[in-house]
Amino acid sequence: MAVLRIHVVWTAGSQISQRGRAGAADAPGPDLECLLSQVAGGDRDAFEAVCHLVDAAVYTAVLRVVRDPSQSEEVAQDVLVEVWRIASRFDPAKGSAMAWVMMIAHRRAVDRVRSAQKSAEREQRTAHAPVAYDEVAETVEARLERARVRQCLGSLTDLQRESITLAYYGGYTYRQVAELLGVAAGTVSTRMRDGLLRLRNCLERSDEN
Amino acid sequence: MRISRAAPHSLAGAYALDAIAGKDLVRFERHLTTCARCAERVRALREAAACLGAGPVIVPPPGLAERAIAAAAGIAQLPAAGPIPRAPRPRATSRVAVAVAGVAVIAAGFLGVAANTAAYRLSQQESRTHAIAAVLASADATVLKARVTTGGRATIIMSVREHALVFTAASLARVPSSKRYELWLMGPSGDRPAGMLPRAASNGMTGPVLARGLRPGDRLCLILEPSGGSSRPSSTVLMAVPL
Repeated sequence: MAVLRIHVVWTAGSQISQRGRAGAADAPGPDLECLLSQVAGGDRDAFEAVCHLVDAAVYTAVLRVVRDPSQSEEVAQDVLVEVWRIASRFDPAKGSAMAWVMMIAHRRAVDRVRSAQKSAEREQRTAHAPVAYDEVAETVEARLERARVRQCLGSLTDLQRESITLAYYGGYTYRQVAELLGVAAGTVSTRMRDGLLRLRNCLERSDEN
Repeated sequence: MRISRAAPHSLAGAYALDAIAGKDLVRFERHLTTCARCAERVRALREAAACLGAGPVIVPPPGLAERAIAAAAGIAQLPAAGPIPRAPRPRATSRVAVAVAGVAVIAAGFLGVAANTAAYRLSQQESRTHAIAAVLASADATVLKARVTTGGRATIIMSVREHALVFTAASLARVPSSKRYELWLMGPSGDRPAGMLPRAASNGMTGPVLARGLRPGDRLCLILEPSGGSSRPSSTVLMAVPL
């Protein structure tokens, strides 16, 4: 089976807009892949370019999970350093460069939330002002992309959607999600899988249109 | 709970979402090395999961890239083959604990999720958060932007299907403690209070506030009211958005 590439528009910071968005849809993709292979060879200029290309996307992905802006900044910085450290392990055959970077970002963010959960339990602290975000760089592409993902999430069953969003944005494990929703852990894991498959098919379909 | 023998395949989704930890993770990663089909599936599911992070971005604090570049200067790169040792992780500070404890709401533009870390229990607050998530995730959700005449920008995510909207604002003008901003729904069905805004967080953000019971022809209005609320709109409309 060929590796599926879902076409995602990443609004990845100012550099892209400076370069012009004639081919906005394929903006950071091929570029980023090429740059990553240079980073893997120890090219610091390429790393600098990568950082400026993905910093906003990484920070946003982390902030969605971690929520606290200053903590998110720390984690985002770690993520970028990690990209430098393990660039040699990026394999284009296994997925897009941006998905790889986002995977690192999400993992780190989830790690941070989980370690915070533990200390939170110890401290039994409660309540803090929720963090809301000011959306910026609201390009037409980004807006369409978000609408597309949202629409596809809407096509999932409630349990699939809740399982996926609690895990992805809340940083919960499938067992914690099961506890939260009061269903069996095995049910949650299959809903996550089926839901992601459905999401993938939906995004693929809307890509063709 | 133990995982039955047949279960590993089904964990591909949880793995792609980074939603496995501890022994489950070790077991699944071991399984991955022997199950080519699972590895393929994980790749595909990861691409789908990564899409959840797509969309409008938030401008990072200035100098983030530069600090990362400086930090990486002292970090050796991994060779192309061999295991990936985990990088040392900075320890979490108590500030995160406070931020994450209790109820935290994500209003990341299109999705919201409740995080109640104390005991993973559903609370009263959480039903509100679920309602927010329902609005943000609904297929017909639309985003409206508006300026507040006294300063600040509002973002409204509305779902007609859910008869509800989620309101957030940035940089609203400070108000004396005797006053609070209040949302109102005004239309053919009359003027109804739709929620008091909480005080702005330290980053200047306010909300999210959930307003329910939208009716045809309503406008969403923002008015400065006495801090205890008001039974009728009692001052100038600072923002009016037709819904």
